Amino acid sequence: MLNKLLFKNQDKKQLVIAIIGALLGITFLITSIHYLIKLNEFGEGADILGPNTIIVQKRVSNSSTLGLTKTDFSLKEMEKMKSKKFIKDVKPVVANNFDVFFRTADSLVPPFSSVVFIQTVDSEFLEIEPEKWNWKLGDEFVPMIMPREFLIMLNTFMSASGIPPISDDLAKDIKFEFKLSNNSNSKKETMKVRIAGFSNEVSSLLVPESFMNYGNNTFSDGSLQKITQVMISGEEGKFGLVEELLEEKGLESKKSQMVVGKLKSIIGTLFGVVLGISIIAVFMSGLVLIQYLQLLMTRNAYEARTLMRMGYHPEKIIKTFFLYFVKIFGFVSILGLLLFIVLKFFLDNAIATGGLGIGTTITYQSIGSLILAYLLFTVTSYRTARKGIFKEY
Amino acid sequence: MKIKLDHIMPAPLASIEHGKDSIWGNDIELKPGKKILLNASSGKGKSTFTTTIFGLRRDYTGTLSYDDKDTRNLTVDDWTKIRMEQISVVFQDLQLFPKLTVQENLILKNSLTDTFTEKELKTLLERLEIDNKWNQHCGVLSMGQQQRVAIIRALAQPYSWLIMDEPFSHLDEGNTQRCLKMLDERTTDLNASFVLTTLGDHHSFKFDQELNL
Repeated sequence: MLNKLLFKNQDKKQLVIAIIGALLGITFLITSIHYLIKLNEFGEGADILGPNTIIVQKRVSNSSTLGLTKTDFSLKEMEKMKSKKFIKDVKPVVANNFDVFFRTADSLVPPFSSVVFIQTVDSEFLEIEPEKWNWKLGDEFVPMIMPREFLIMLNTFMSASGIPPISDDLAKDIKFEFKLSNNSNSKKETMKVRIAGFSNEVSSLLVPESFMNYGNNTFSDGSLQKITQVMISGEEGKFGLVEELLEEKGLESKKSQMVVGKLKSIIGTLFGVVLGISIIAVFMSGLVLIQYLQLLMTRNAYEARTLMRMGYHPEKIIKTFFLYFVKIFGFVSILGLLLFIVLKFFLDNAIATGGLGIGTTITYQSIGSLILAYLLFTVTSYRTARKGIFKEY
Repeated sequence: MKIKLDHIMPAPLASIEHGKDSIWGNDIELKPGKKILLNASSGKGKSTFTTTIFGLRRDYTGTLSYDDKDTRNLTVDDWTKIRMEQISVVFQDLQLFPKLTVQENLILKNSLTDTFTEKELKTLLERLEIDNKWNQHCGVLSMGQQQRVAIIRALAQPYSWLIMDEPFSHLDEGNTQRCLKMLDERTTDLNASFVLTTLGDHHSFKFDQELNL
């Protein structure tokens, strides 16, 4: 009866306009938050290198070829780079100072061997389980991260030999060997090697730091190891600044690493703007609904006043208005979520067609933002209803 | 419930000179069980009396108390309980809901305390000869019919005091007598009291007390 008295004769057209406004705002909010999160996740796990991490070296010029400028990094240079706000960490990429011969040691694959260049990086930069990335003297295998290009080359070689190419997982079961030796070949040692992961971004074979130290201590001729590459980890979405620094310092990295970082920065900024607009849109649409609530209460001022005079408790009338609006916003939220799911279906398809493989699961954050918007509206509508009713008391 | 007006003077009436027997500015006690006539000409504050007693206006000096409790100290919960179970009012402007039917207007009030059954409400309407209006919107009824609906609505709760502000102003003598008889019976049944404000007409009823403004 109370609902009939208070809500039956309202202006339905205004209510529908308020609902459409709130619906658009909510859908906009969930969609932008979802894709912002997905974009941030983009690229994570695709490579064994951590997100926003690049390997840089000094650009080789004619003068460096002639030995007039240095191509190695001093500790001071690394410290200077690390002091920049947009750089999280800078660590040297340590290379071997001894000879390494890499070969297959498995009857299932044809013999293949090559002199290789191995490197090690701080494990903080790698997205690999720590237990899979350690080595100590006496271990059966040396774990190794292989450049994917290397596997492609191996597969090409195997195809040419009439053997089917192998996948990443199968490659991890193939036995390899390192033959370590000093320059004069007077000291030699053979060690079994197993692939722990692949990288698209590193061109050399990566080994654990402990193995590199062992090799350099045991087989090096004692000459000082130069740092010709460093690993830089940039802050999320600040790759534009990292690129500027590289340009300024005459450094270079693999283009693909920079492109992904820049893409994420640009789209991240764009989505940030969209998110800002969405929050304003939700705020405005919430305001439209709250204004409608105020209008409804003003139109029902006589009814509310009379009900209280009849003996209805103000809280009961507040609750009636509050529940009505909570239901409306609940309806708007569910509709917004459904609209987002439909939109997501088309957007995910469009993004996949465009060649970007982002995850399709709904993010917790987008649902969280919906719940937060709902709670904020709930609190605001209760306060508005309370203020409106006690004005008539 | 005893109602005491201790030198009450509503702000709008402060500039008017009131007689020695006026309830304004004097010490007046409304004792339980009495049927009181409040007699005054227009503009003397009959409606102000109703709204002041009912706690709707606070712009007065002096002290209004229920059972020796200052009404200024009553909480929202207290007022709700009082309006639901202790004091019922027939306002001069009736304060019905014009877009609801007679049935809905009565049930909206009656449902708070379940005082009457639907059948009893219909019987009351029948006694006042408006039972045929049960499903009609109050907004389409004549003022006299609306007054009778408002009277029945005021009866649809337990009360200690029934305050009526010129409730028969649009009724003919026959309907006035029927209403007054019903009010008298119900008030007696409840061992309650009422205050009836008029412009001077006693409606041939024997009141226990007569107050002036």
